Amino acid sequence: MKITRTKAFRVFFTPIWESNPVSGQILGICSALAVTVQLKTAIVMSLALTFVLAFSNFSISLMRNYIPRNIRIIIELTVIATLVIFADQVLRAFLYNISKQLSIFVGLIITNCIILGRAETYALGNPPFLSLLDGLGNGLGYSQILITVAILRELFGAGKLLGYQVIPASLYAAGYENMGFMVLAPGAFIAIGLIVWLQKTVAKEENDGKPH
Amino acid sequence: MFSTVKSILFVTMLSIVCSSLLTLAATGLKDYQLRNVAIDKKINILKSVRVVDDGYALTPVIIEKLYDENIRQAWINVDGKIITEQLKSEHDLPIYLYVKEHEILSYIIPVDSNGLWGRILGYLAIKSDGKTISGFTVYSHSETPGLGGEIETSWFQNNFLGKEILDEKGNFVAVTIAKGSVEKRIPKHRQKNFVDGISGATMTGRFLSDGLTQALIEYEVFSKRFRNQEITTLKDF
Repeated sequence: MKITRTKAFRVFFTPIWESNPVSGQILGICSALAVTVQLKTAIVMSLALTFVLAFSNFSISLMRNYIPRNIRIIIELTVIATLVIFADQVLRAFLYNISKQLSIFVGLIITNCIILGRAETYALGNPPFLSLLDGLGNGLGYSQILITVAILRELFGAGKLLGYQVIPASLYAAGYENMGFMVLAPGAFIAIGLIVWLQKTVAKEENDGKPH
Repeated sequence: MFSTVKSILFVTMLSIVCSSLLTLAATGLKDYQLRNVAIDKKINILKSVRVVDDGYALTPVIIEKLYDENIRQAWINVDGKIITEQLKSEHDLPIYLYVKEHEILSYIIPVDSNGLWGRILGYLAIKSDGKTISGFTVYSHSETPGLGGEIETSWFQNNFLGKEILDEKGNFVAVTIAKGSVEKRIPKHRQKNFVDGISGATMTGRFLSDGLTQALIEYEVFSKRFRNQEITTLKDF
């Protein structure tokens, strides 16, 4: 069997592009707007979310046969909150400068709909290893959009990438100006909108001719 | 009935596991976090007197060394006298002194201002002539990124260099953030009391101007002693 046909492969790769949580399912938009002004913060945020998502999926899946159904949301939230606070503490200890810039948005990962959504729809009904892969896949899917949007915003909004000047001074001398609009939240809306549009167009072409 | 007991047991177990994990993480990482906060403060004090440019590129060890070499912390009482930590009472104000070979080059006052969305914390350094600003930094704020958030950028902070807190007659006027460009908006003889504003952030500018004025008024007694050349070296301690 080819590796691309295995279940694990599909679980991992489908959310990265085909059913991407942000551009496919329109989840987790709020943080995608807030932390994508700079590439650096977007990368750290992506790592934090992927970490939380992978381990919340994994641990909830481990407990899935014991979790009492009537209080499952509370339990899921407890697990997620623990992981988020842990991630926040680690950032404060080792990436202080970036954690200062991310401020409240790391804490807000708790309310990110992707995480609770994956716990509810996937981890509760699948074994730990697949759940871990699903978490990683969805986390990377989210990261991919976040990083793309951040590249667009930092490049056009500030002329920089990762804090380094990319657009040469000669271009500014020739009358080029940074797009102030890109550093504001609506800039992210438009960037995400364009990505959703691109993704839907490509997906449609791929599906043409196949029965739905 | 049985299922209720099971739920309660499960939740209790989970809470114990989660809380002990978090307690471990919080206590284990606390030293690192406190060190980061302390270093961040030192970076900003050093930045305000321009000993370092971008402190985040330097290692904490170098920051500590530069801080110990250049900066002395002290307090001032209501008469503007410098006092040491042992003698301070609760009304005394903290001050940081930029010292080179016992000579005070600048004094640094902490700024705690309101902002549009939250507090703005920073440091304002003034030269030993008691009127010329030698630097300004912001280390904590919650203004809108790209608009009011520009107060943390170097282009904005560099505007403060060489500005004065006295008008041309020598009266105290503090320093104000103009609405737009100083050159276009402010009459020539007042330009040294104003810094360029941030477009789209008039409110942040107004709040920060008030905060700076407030801080400067509090330390005015101290500044006056510098202007009268009552303090020049650290021996006057």
